[in-house]
Amino acid sequence: MSAERFYRLLLRAYPPEFRAEYGGEMVLLFRDQCRESDVRTVGFWARVLWDVARSAPALRVEAWRENTRTMEVIMKLAAMLTVLVGVLGVLNAGVEWGAAFTGTISGMHTLSLVLAVCASALLLTAGAAILLRRPQAARLALLASVVLFVAARLLHPWMSPFSLIVGIGLPFAFLIALYWPRKGNPSWGVTP
Amino acid sequence: MVTKRRAGRKPEAYLPLPPATFHILLALADGELHGYAIMKGGTARSEGGVRLGPGTLYGALKRLLDAGLVDEGGERADPEHGDERRRYYRLTQLGLSVARAEARRLDAMVRAARRKKLVGERPA
Repeated sequence: MSAERFYRLLLRAYPPEFRAEYGGEMVLLFRDQCRESDVRTVGFWARVLWDVARSAPALRVEAWRENTRTMEVIMKLAAMLTVLVGVLGVLNAGVEWGAAFTGTISGMHTLSLVLAVCASALLLTAGAAILLRRPQAARLALLASVVLFVAARLLHPWMSPFSLIVGIGLPFAFLIALYWPRKGNPSWGVTP
Repeated sequence: MVTKRRAGRKPEAYLPLPPATFHILLALADGELHGYAIMKGGTARSEGGVRLGPGTLYGALKRLLDAGLVDEGGERADPEHGDERRRYYRLTQLGLSVARAEARRLDAMVRAARRKKLVGERPA
């Protein structure tokens, strides 16, 4: 197998889009290197392999990060789910309220239900804010929703474990996603 | 297609530059060059300290193009390096500003090191 054919195989380590854009130029550059160096030495191939091993994974990660379209779709679906959970949360608290009124209802229980309704309404607002691309409003609504859900649970243990997981876990997961560091500074990749 | 999405940013926002990236900008400060000429220039300027392989070079060039620091200058053959058509690259105004800002930053660091007698004099 010729050196160039082997190098073309190595190029498969790079993302397809990068290969399509720069693969031809890289082969030209490799040909230039072959003309100037002894391709039969271990040192030459060690440099070639080191270059591929250092640059290809970084470019793969960048290509994955640039695939924002997929992330946007995921965020939209998750936002719709949040709106749905918010509506269900309000209904859940309403049903609990109705059931509680058949007997005696304590002040703490009432306050807990009110907080749960507010938390669900905030969850609904957060979902709408994410869909409307208002991340700051969504963050505030999610944060307030988590606080209210926790407060409601501490005041009275009427919520099921599933409601708790969804009510606290979903806004928490969204908060992480919305606060995840974006590429503010340009990423220069590997630093030789 | 060159992305200009970061063209409004201050040059200092791109610092510090990795050595390979700075070598590419330094090479392009002389004018339009193709990949092999950039690679040779980097190796010669660093006295062998920086070796830009094809992956490192084109990975860095892609990032520079995306950031709007470098622009494509078309394709043509270089008579010194055969008949193959090669893609040429050139600095943008932003790229030149970033290279200057990085040079100033490095210059300030070298001056500080000189004041501490870390360079320019043989250590006692």
